[in-house]
This record gives sequence, structure tokens and C-alpha cells, in this order.
Amino acid sequence: MEGLLSNLALGFGVALSLQNLLYCLGGVMLGTLIGVLPGIGPVATIAMLLPVTFTLPPVSALIMLAGIYYGAQYGGSTSAILVNLPGEVASVVTCLDGYQMARRGRAGPALGISAIGSFIAGTFATIVIALFAPPLAEVALKFGPAEYFSLMVLGLVGATVLAHGSLVKAIAMVLLGLLLGLVGTDVNSGVARFTFGIPELSDGIGFVGVAMGVFGFGEIILNLESQAKGGAREVFTNKVSNLLPSVQDFKDCSGSILRGMVLGSALGILPGGGALLASFAAYTLEKKVSKNSANFGKGAIQGVAAPEAANNAGAQTSFIPLLTLGIPSNPVMALMIGAMMIQGIAPGPQVMTERPELFWGMIASMWVGNLMLVVLNLPLIGLWIKLLTVPYRFLYPAIILFCSVGIYSISNSPWDVLMTSLWGIAGYIFAKLECEPAPLMLGFILGPLMEENLRRAMLLSRGDPIVFFTRPISLTMLVIAAFLLVIVIAPAVRSKREEAFVAD
Amino acid sequence: MKIVNGKDFWAGVMFIGIGLGFMIASREYQMGSSVRMGPAYFPTVLGGLLAILGLAVFLRGFVSKIRDTLRVFPLRLPVLIAAIVVSAIAYWGADWIKGLGSAGNVIQYLLNAAGLLLFIAAWGPRALFIVLVATVAFGYLLKPLGLVLACVVLIFGSAWGGHEFKFKEVTVMFAVLAVFAVFAFVYGLGLPMNIWPELW
Repeated sequence: MEGLLSNLALGFGVALSLQNLLYCLGGVMLGTLIGVLPGIGPVATIAMLLPVTFTLPPVSALIMLAGIYYGAQYGGSTSAILVNLPGEVASVVTCLDGYQMARRGRAGPALGISAIGSFIAGTFATIVIALFAPPLAEVALKFGPAEYFSLMVLGLVGATVLAHGSLVKAIAMVLLGLLLGLVGTDVNSGVARFTFGIPELSDGIGFVGVAMGVFGFGEIILNLESQAKGGAREVFTNKVSNLLPSVQDFKDCSGSILRGMVLGSALGILPGGGALLASFAAYTLEKKVSKNSANFGKGAIQGVAAPEAANNAGAQTSFIPLLTLGIPSNPVMALMIGAMMIQGIAPGPQVMTERPELFWGMIASMWVGNLMLVVLNLPLIGLWIKLLTVPYRFLYPAIILFCSVGIYSISNSPWDVLMTSLWGIAGYIFAKLECEPAPLMLGFILGPLMEENLRRAMLLSRGDPIVFFTRPISLTMLVIAAFLLVIVIAPAVRSKREEAFVAD
Repeated sequence: MKIVNGKDFWAGVMFIGIGLGFMIASREYQMGSSVRMGPAYFPTVLGGLLAILGLAVFLRGFVSKIRDTLRVFPLRLPVLIAAIVVSAIAYWGADWIKGLGSAGNVIQYLLNAAGLLLFIAAWGPRALFIVLVATVAFGYLLKPLGLVLACVVLIFGSAWGGHEFKFKEVTVMFAVLAVFAVFAFVYGLGLPMNIWPELW
């Protein structure tokens, strides 16, 4: 306990330095901004800023990038409530009841409760990380190649289970990602694989280009296409007054926020988990527990509070696998790994012992950032509302410009811009064919790591694959992975899962 | 047999094609054994798995309960034919074009680029083509023309790709964004970029 307190003190010492406070503020503001704006998410934004963070000290860079991620969860709920348009995937569920509340003239309390609920959940999640990350990292230090391989299998299975729609397609996307990740020079033999003689490919396909192309450009083109077909939405921006929920609202919601944050924190830790699953699960649970479940979908305040608390908690605890195991649990975390590598830090359990100021500083900054979000966003809500009324035709050229400049500056060559555009086409095709890109992204990051660990494990066991089943930790992970697959395929869960994603 | 779900059908085709493609491309490298895996081992296994899953998705396209049109993407047949013709000339005429000397290299390059562009333009929405071409042009023009002029191409191009294009509006937007980009990226972040064309 004392160790924890001194660690937290160290963390707050780092997080509260003037420079880091400023980067944290910048991160959460930018995060809220892109969360509010539909059509650009945290993945594209972080990809855009990666080259910029190169010049920052590592702690500041990670603090800012993390701020973008959880700030986006906050911002996403604003546009969900006011425009019925999820600014960020995880706030899809918030649309259901939040928009209905706005239609009944209760936009203010809906925004208020989502901010307050998110803050409480964020505080809780910070404590969860501080408590659970160190023991997990100690376990992770004992991991051999077999354990790492099984862990990655579990993470990838987790990602497919979470994907919308078809499970087979999601697994195929993981495999495709793994294959694409192998492009480039093979570390063991030095052979340049699948490069077609293009020298730029010998270092592999640029990760930032894939992320920005598939998630940024693909999205913009889809938006433009659907706009051409028409489709306006009603915006409730003029009558947002009295942001503070009433005492009765607080009484109604306190249970929902508690359940949401516990559930969200637990689901965020799962490899492949994160904010999206957390908010869906919390909404479903709330609907089950509530005495008047008929109100859900018609503006029940619990239907806003629970998923908002859950997605914020989940967004934060999804840092645990990254910080303790060095394994990303979603595309944003994969980008964070990229950011750490740019800074020369190998993500993994050793970060906590070798760079305690980085680890604890980041955790402390999450709580500081959450506080900033509540304090700043309640008064700033008018500004976000104004932004929402800016037509998309002004926004997307700016987004494209920032993306292009960001991607160009990675290596100061047009090559990355070209690749990003091609990935934009791929992203558009994937969306059209209903193939979820998030599993692809995770596979892409894990591809080389997985191959490396598979090779080492097989070399150590002299080619006997039984090694994955005889080592207890490895076996446990594979069993969990198999279990996850079985429950998803089980007919009862399957129909529920389809039901949950239909809301999208 | 009738294709009932076009999305599954095409997704299946895509996965099978890519899976087999990786398996075939891996044959150039050493397979190794399960103890000492060569560079071909892992991709061959993954490619095979991908092709099998692709086949499952492909077959589901015939039995799925969900109906989806086979024409997932709009296709422009004349453009596609033009793309095939240009690419065929670029491929089979390569030797002859090479004989033209240094001008031949330029012609070959232009033919390749035109073929690729036509292939992209043959399907998909207007925005896909225009926005992405504007972006690539931005990338290649940034060094020789400088940030401001490259912005002209990018902003006007991408705005034109949308469904509503008002010249006055876009000009104002260009001015604002170009000024912002120069100050934020070049002066603020110190990115090494030309603001004006190199000759100036």
C-alpha cells in the first residue's frame, strides 16, 4: 500500500509539472474536439500527430496521446446526444437514450450526467490501473515465447469476438492483418518478403498510413458518398440550458454509474476489449436491472449514465494490457505502441520498473485529464455545439489537409501519402463489404511479434507444438480464447450479439 | 445456384485471392521445418487459413439469409475497358517504348500511372477517385511547388469531390487553411517544408 502511495506521488509529481499539464490539456481538448466532430476518430488523429510527438519528451508525448483517446470518449457523447450522430464509435449506445432526452428538452441534464458519470468512472479506472497493473507486470516478466504467442492468440480472438457482424469475416480480417504485417524484411533470415522489389516496402508497410487510410480517408469517402445520397438530421443545439442534473436524476443514476464503471473497467482489461464493448454491455445490463425497462430508448437517464461511465472506464483500463504486457488491445493502443517505439521505449512489463516516472506519470495524468475534462467541458459546451453546426463540407478538406501533412512528414516523401491513399481505397472496400477494420489493425501490429514468438517457442520445444498446452499460463490463455469463441458461436449469445450490434 | 448476398460473395473472392496470392508469393522463399521455420512458413500457413475462411464466406454468399445486391460498387464499363487497353499497351509495348530513349521512360511512366488511375476510376463513388487523386497529387507536388500551391490542389480537389461546390466558399476556406498550415506546421512545428515553389 505504501509502495502504491509513493508510486502515485511520483506519478502526480510528473503529471503536475507545468509542461505535462499543458500537453495533457492540449490532448484532452483535441480529443474532445475530434470526439465531437463526426468523421474523424482518435485513430486517425493519433496517427496524424505521431510524427509531431517525435520532438517531445516521451512522458509528455504519451500523456498527450492518451488524453486524445479518453477525451474523444467525452466528446463523442456530446454529438451523440445533440445530433444523434456518434462522434466516436463507443458512443453509439449513447445515441439511443441521449438523443431522446434532447428531444424532450433535457439535453442539458443528459450532457451533465454523462460528463459527471464519466469523471467518476475515470477516477475509479485510474485506481484500478494503479492497483492491478503492477502484479500483472510481475506475472508478465515470467512469460516465455509460448506464453506470448498464446496471449496474442487470445488478444486476436478477443478482437474478433468484439467486431460487428460476421465472425468468420472478422477472423479473416485478423489473418489478413497478420499477413500484411509480415511484409518487409524477415528478421531471422534477412529475406525481403512480399516487397515486389519496391525499396520503400523493405521496412514493412507503414503502420500510420494503414491506420490513417483505413480509418480516416475511408471514413471521409463513405461520408461523402452517403451525403450525396442526401440525409439531413435534426440538431438540438439551441435549447441547451441548465446542465446540472436534478437531485432526483442523481438518485436515479448513482447505481447505473457504479455498475457501468465496474463493468467497463473489467471489460477494458480484456485483450481486444475497450470502450466499445463496455458501453454496449453496460446498456444491456442496465436495461435488465432497471425496474422500468420500458423507458429505455425513450430517454431514460440511466441509459445515458451507464454506457458513458462504462466507455470511459473501459477506455482507460484498456491501457493495462499495453503497459503490463506490451500487447495492444485495440487500434488506438496499437498506435500508442508505435509512439513508444518512436521514443525508443520497448513496450512491456519492464517499462514499469525501468521507467517508473513514465508509467506512473501517465496513470496520474489520466486522472488529471479527467478532472480537466469535467471542469472545462461543462462551460465549453456552447463552443462544441457551435462546432457541430459547421457543415461537413468545411470540415473534411481540413481533415484531409492535416492528415496529408502529417503523413508526409513521417519520412518527408510522397511515398507514405500514396500508400495512405491506397489504404483509403482498401478502407472503403472493407466498409462496403462489411469487413471490420479493427481486427485487421491488431493483426497487422501483432504479425511480426507473433511469428517471432512462434519461431522461438518451436525452436525451444524442438518443433513440438504441444508446448503451448503444457505450460500452464499458455494453456490458460488458449482455453480462455477457445471459450470466448465457443460462447460467441453458441446460438443464444449469437442472436444477442447481433441484436446489440444492430443498434449501430 | 444463385448469389443472394453480394457482400459475402465479393468478400469471399477478396479473401481467397489474397490468401492464395500470399501462398504463391511465399514459394519464392525457404519453407524450413517446424523446428527452424523459414521465411515462407508462417505466411504460407496464414495464407492457407485465409483462403479457407474466404471460401466459407464465399459459399455463404449463396445460402445467406441476408439479401444484398451483387453490385456493391458502381461499375463504369467504358472506363474499365479503357483501363485494360492502356495497361495492355503499357505492358506489352514496354520494349518498343523503351526504344524511344529518354522520352520513352516518361511515356512508360505516364502510361502506368494512367492505367492505374483508370482502374481506380472504373468503380466506386466520385469522391473516392477525386479526393484520393487530389491527396496523392498533394504529396508529389509538396516539394516542387511548396505548401501553398499544393494546398490549392488539395483543397479545391477535395472540395470538388464533395457534392456541393461553391467557388467563393472554397476560396475562403483555402485561404484560411493555407495560412493556418503555413503558421502551424512550418513556423510552429518547424516541419521542413517549402512554402513557395523551390525556384523562388
